[in-house]
Amino acid sequence: MNRRTLPIISVVVLCTMALCMSLAGRKVSAQDASAPSPSIYNPYPPGILPPDLNSELARVLREVDFIESEAIGQWHALKPPVLMGNPPILQGTGVASVEILGKLMNFDKNISPNKNRACSSCHMPYAAFSGPIPSVNLTMIAYPGSLPFRAGKRTAQRYTYSSYFPPLQYNATQGLFFGGNFWDSRATGYLTRSPAGEQSQFPPVDPLEMGNPDTACITYKLSLAAYRPLFEEVWGKGSFAISFPSNTASICATPGGAAVFGGSATPVALSPDDRTKSNNVYLHWAQSLSAYEHGLSLSPFTSKFDAFLAGKYTLTAAESAGYNLFRGKGNCNSCHLDGRSTAPAPTALGAVDTGVAADTTPVFTCFGSANLGLPKNPRVALLYESTPDSFGFTPNPGGFTYTDFGLGTFLRGGFGSAPNPNSSWTQFAPTTDGQMETMTVRDVAMVPPQCTGGTDAPGPYFQKEFFHNGYIKSLKQMVHFYNTRDVFRFEVESGHCPAGTVEKVNCWPAAEVPQNQDMTVGNLGLTDTEENQIVTFMKTLTDGFTTPYPDINTYTGTCMTGGNASTQGNSTLLSAEELRAGAGAR
Amino acid sequence: MNGFLVRVVVTAAAMMLCSTSMAAQTNPYTATAELPPATKAAHLHITKGPALELANSNSAIIRWTSNNPGGTDEHFGVVTYGTDPKNLNEIAKSHIRLNRNHPYTVFRVRVDGLQPRTTYYYTVDSMEGNGARDRVKSPVRYFTTR
Repeated sequence: MNRRTLPIISVVVLCTMALCMSLAGRKVSAQDASAPSPSIYNPYPPGILPPDLNSELARVLREVDFIESEAIGQWHALKPPVLMGNPPILQGTGVASVEILGKLMNFDKNISPNKNRACSSCHMPYAAFSGPIPSVNLTMIAYPGSLPFRAGKRTAQRYTYSSYFPPLQYNATQGLFFGGNFWDSRATGYLTRSPAGEQSQFPPVDPLEMGNPDTACITYKLSLAAYRPLFEEVWGKGSFAISFPSNTASICATPGGAAVFGGSATPVALSPDDRTKSNNVYLHWAQSLSAYEHGLSLSPFTSKFDAFLAGKYTLTAAESAGYNLFRGKGNCNSCHLDGRSTAPAPTALGAVDTGVAADTTPVFTCFGSANLGLPKNPRVALLYESTPDSFGFTPNPGGFTYTDFGLGTFLRGGFGSAPNPNSSWTQFAPTTDGQMETMTVRDVAMVPPQCTGGTDAPGPYFQKEFFHNGYIKSLKQMVHFYNTRDVFRFEVESGHCPAGTVEKVNCWPAAEVPQNQDMTVGNLGLTDTEENQIVTFMKTLTDGFTTPYPDINTYTGTCMTGGNASTQGNSTLLSAEELRAGAGAR
Repeated sequence: MNGFLVRVVVTAAAMMLCSTSMAAQTNPYTATAELPPATKAAHLHITKGPALELANSNSAIIRWTSNNPGGTDEHFGVVTYGTDPKNLNEIAKSHIRLNRNHPYTVFRVRVDGLQPRTTYYYTVDSMEGNGARDRVKSPVRYFTTR
């Protein structure tokens, strides 16, 4: 191939890819999300589902397919495997192989019963692997599962740096839990020793997400996947030497929770030996996805702040002021640890930091949990799923009465969480009610590059959702909440702030879980300008500054414009009182 | 096609196709062991307050500032209160996370379940995550609910 041919081929390849994405978009017509259909579960009152839901789900699916095809190419570009040593290691290609395998799994829609949801359907690169649909982030919070429109109760957490969380453990000296994955830390990593890996084992069999009825279904679908050879290369020949019964395909095309399963968690009838093999395949699923999340294509430490720590970037005046507030008056780094200064640092504006960087790759979390006292978000989809769907499954029999106690519910092994593998932890449930995992600040501001205004109005911006229930819609609101939660707190529900106040500006509705609220924050005394400076600093934690962030250019939707960050999303507020009454009436 | 456009396209194509090699790089992260609790302050004393930050009909927030007590990062502000200044028989605790880089700590405690239009007397203290009290010296103060 001569030097002139390569660019021409590259152009053709790129144009073909773009054309495919464009044409694929025309095959799927947008429907009204509320249109009745026997295969559709829609228990929602008007206004909960966004009107563009179907077209947006189709848009994301096209993007998912595009990245999957890219990953196939990356797999095929790997050098031939050379297995050496004992324990055996794929010399030279092992790391890339397992990471690409994880990527192939992550963007594989065929894993879901209806072949319409990949892991990435709720976790796309341009949103730092969190929710990719602006209108969903603005309204129903949780993403529709493989059976539309079953949906969960919480926002999709970013993958970035999730692999750095240690296995969940109670620290008796500190009197607090550290580690785990998920908002409620239920992916403890107690067996896998990788909470991020264990996290990846939940959504495929969560009836409100992918909804496979049995983990063996994932094994079965992996055995049929185009990338099965790579799986066997990484995890061993014979991994899929399992005798699946003839009805496996039929079982695995039926959403979990269906009455036909009679409550069984293992409807695929496997021999004990085959069940063990299947469980091992599912363990390797977890390990592969965790490898992808830990890799430099996903958690790369390439932000402005990383360049700053390396002495290769000078923070601007606003960024520097924001950083001083972040670790000073705002007190953000009491838990979002920034790795700086082991000695007391000056906190006054203009003071000189004489401390040293104690950690050159801080992940901006203490790995703990806290109840920040967020208001209940009446838009959360789960609150309305109190009637059975066409498969006889009722996601939330309690309807609007459901309260999200987070870590406390998990420690009790309560509804909507997972079994607690350590009975000695249960005693701490009352003091952890309402606690949610402290996420890294890294990449909180990551958006598609064409949305040049970032996350906040007036934009052009990409609408994200923040905290576990998505009540907060912009970074400005987030900082304002930390700053004024206890200054403007009213004992009202969302949608019912007193006359003369504006919700999220000078009215914060009551906490969903009032007990155990963290009081490190709530009245920080920050000015409006200081809030904005902290937002500016948070943007320095977005990866892709020193090296382009892989797959960030895959967003084919639109950016939003107009309004202001303080009241962003307020036009979609609904009356909790009316919604509750409506939920009870159905 | 001009040379610049060719370079842009080639660069874009390389970026899309090269994440394999990027993924194979060594991760720079080095796990840091969890730090032991900080050294306890030699002389813990209140520098501001305690005072009422906010009160409504059935709850209040008490606030004070002390030098950083040290010990466990996970800390609690503790308010001991009652309607009789000689018999403070109720306790409220709120979680605070110390900032090791700060010479001071602002403690804030929510006191719930109060009666309307009632005067309460209180003292304050702080304690470590494992329940050990810091034993800061506090005056008795009072507030009245709305």
